[in-house]
Amino acid sequence: MTGHLVRIDGVAKRFGDRLVLSGVAARFLSGESYVLTGDNGSGKSTLMRILAGLEDADAGTLEIDGRTARLRGYPEWLRGEIVYVHQHPYLFDTSIAENIGFGLKARGMAPDERRRIVAEALEWAGLGHVAQVRPSKLSGGEKQRVAMARAKVLHPRLFLLDEPTANLDRDGRQRVLDLIHDLGQGENCVLVACHDQELIQLPFMRQLRLDAGRLTAFPKSAEKPVPARRAP
Amino acid sequence: MITTTPRLCLALAAFLVCSAPLQAADDIRLATTTSTENSGLLAQILPKFEAKYGAKVRVVAVGTGAALKLGENCDADVLLVHARSLEDKFMAAGFGSARKDVMYNDFIIVGPKSDPAGVRGSKDVIAAMKKIAGSGAKFVSRGDESGTHQMEKGYWKDAGAQPQGAAYVSAGQGMGQVLTMAGELQGYTLTDRATFAAYRDKIGLEILVEGDPRMFNPYGVIAVSPQKCPGVNNKGAMALMDWMVSPEGQQAIAAFKVHGQQMFFPDAKPALKPAA
Amino acid sequence: MDLIEPTLEAFRLLFTGDPQLWRIIWTSLYCSTLAIALIAPFAIALGFLIAKVRFPGRRALVVTVQGLLSFPTVVVGLTIYMLLSRQGPLGFLRLLFTPEAMIIGYMLIAFPVLVVFTLSSVQGADPRVYETARSLGAHKVLAAWTTLREVRFGVMASIFNGFGRVVSEVGCSIMVGGNIAGLTRNIPTAIALETSKGEFAQGIALGFVLIVLALGINAVLSFMQGEGGMT
Repeated sequence: MTGHLVRIDGVAKRFGDRLVLSGVAARFLSGESYVLTGDNGSGKSTLMRILAGLEDADAGTLEIDGRTARLRGYPEWLRGEIVYVHQHPYLFDTSIAENIGFGLKARGMAPDERRRIVAEALEWAGLGHVAQVRPSKLSGGEKQRVAMARAKVLHPRLFLLDEPTANLDRDGRQRVLDLIHDLGQGENCVLVACHDQELIQLPFMRQLRLDAGRLTAFPKSAEKPVPARRAP
Repeated sequence: MITTTPRLCLALAAFLVCSAPLQAADDIRLATTTSTENSGLLAQILPKFEAKYGAKVRVVAVGTGAALKLGENCDADVLLVHARSLEDKFMAAGFGSARKDVMYNDFIIVGPKSDPAGVRGSKDVIAAMKKIAGSGAKFVSRGDESGTHQMEKGYWKDAGAQPQGAAYVSAGQGMGQVLTMAGELQGYTLTDRATFAAYRDKIGLEILVEGDPRMFNPYGVIAVSPQKCPGVNNKGAMALMDWMVSPEGQQAIAAFKVHGQQMFFPDAKPALKPAA
Repeated sequence: MDLIEPTLEAFRLLFTGDPQLWRIIWTSLYCSTLAIALIAPFAIALGFLIAKVRFPGRRALVVTVQGLLSFPTVVVGLTIYMLLSRQGPLGFLRLLFTPEAMIIGYMLIAFPVLVVFTLSSVQGADPRVYETARSLGAHKVLAAWTTLREVRFGVMASIFNGFGRVVSEVGCSIMVGGNIAGLTRNIPTAIALETSKGEFAQGIALGFVLIVLALGINAVLSFMQGEGGMT
């Protein structure tokens, strides 16, 4: 099995006297998609935010391709290697194209190349028709797809998606699920936190359940034929 | 028979009517210049008048032009200023019903100890001003059309010269601020004696030119015309004017001293009739 | 009091390029604009940091800066005066009664305005902005800049407010500038002078000029911001 590895170990977080995460450990293989389940308040969001560096863990390490980082003080080199998408993603007050290109611009990519990659990403997400539209005019599902495109162009090792299908209508959900499936191909891995049963049951998803501060892996359900849906 | 309560009311009413002359008269609004107010003269002599007349004098100190404007707008009852030409215009326009000379003080030229223009001890103000203009030393001017400024402009005119460019600092402020500025910049300025006495210890300048009769600064007191301003307290204004030119008022003015020196010189003359 | 004639006269002087009047306007604009330009980057950055970073004494700092908003400008002038006076510690700089002294005063006056308004805007910003930017790989300064861009209308409002506060103030200007003709006389101090001369109408006319200028500047800046400001 080729592929890169993201490994986390000993992740702990306490809020006041409540121990939310107590020694969470997991391995994420590239090309795999994982869904993180658990009751409300079980700490799913907290774990994701810690992995994204939006919150400080009390303890824990993260290893990417052999390189280790402590999660108590998030190193800068992890930014952009792990991208977090909020449940209701925030789109900057500028055009969709500018939004998608944000991370690329932060890396110092030249405008021409940026434009090319952004155009590809817009096609991938099925958003070519809204490139110059302002974010306030988009639907919830469209915003979610923009956020995913915005993350995808950075080729992060790990995508963290927080409840991506919540509050979406049937059509919106399907399109988002298609993109999630595509994100998980190749060299990346995807970790989705959600309650969505349909998503949890998807054959390409491996389930990790967070309970009492610990993570348990569930066996993969039987493979079912999945129609190939590859973006051009 | 008149019952008790109405009798009490009648008595009360009678008491109020009879006691009217003993009640305090209306306030008198006096508009004067900032230099007059800053000298401290009014703080000393007005209480004597107030005790006698039984009314408070409310002093508003503004620039000379503004003081006259207050009179025009009926926002003052009586004016005390020192700008003869402007006073004459005021009277000619009918804004004042009466004007009297009351006192004079004098101007002095002050400057840095080093006296770069070499005017110390001069008794000729015009020659001194000419020297200052030619020396390139800084001169700070009131620049605000005040009585002091008018005097200064008159001197430059007679001297036929004036400091040029950055040497002439036209400050557009009151006498106290101008003195402070002259001290900071170590320049010359024209000031009245009383204000200088109040600021002398703070600013590091010395009296260099004094005593020329052309440096005398006469004050006039003007009652605002009740014809033009029906609501004005003319009674109070005339009372104040009469007191200031009376022997008692004139004595009070002469008695005002700063650092042991007399600042204002009584100068009341027989009342001049306003121009026809 | 006839206002029309002096106002017309003031505008006539304005449009025929009367050098004295334009010198006064220039002094106002030059000193105010330069002061804001110099202090804004620092004040806005500080406002952002106070909003985002928890450090000991943060609360006390916020209370202090908010208190400075009510500080009378004439007291700012007095403080600077005492520093720059011949007898003061910085007297050797000979900065008193110069436009530079006024600029220093304006910087101090505008500072709390800019900090507090920026602080308030950033606090009101969606916390997801900063997080999104960081997650997408932006370093802290870029994420901060992105946040400020998202609340740019609040930040612009703080700049307008600061500018308005200094372009119209008198107390400090007169104390440290001295209202010197051709050097430190600006519109508000010129109005004060006209008033003390009894030229009330002149004062009002200058006031109209100031209002027109202020409206003009605000209109231009508003136009440059684009229509996004109104939501």
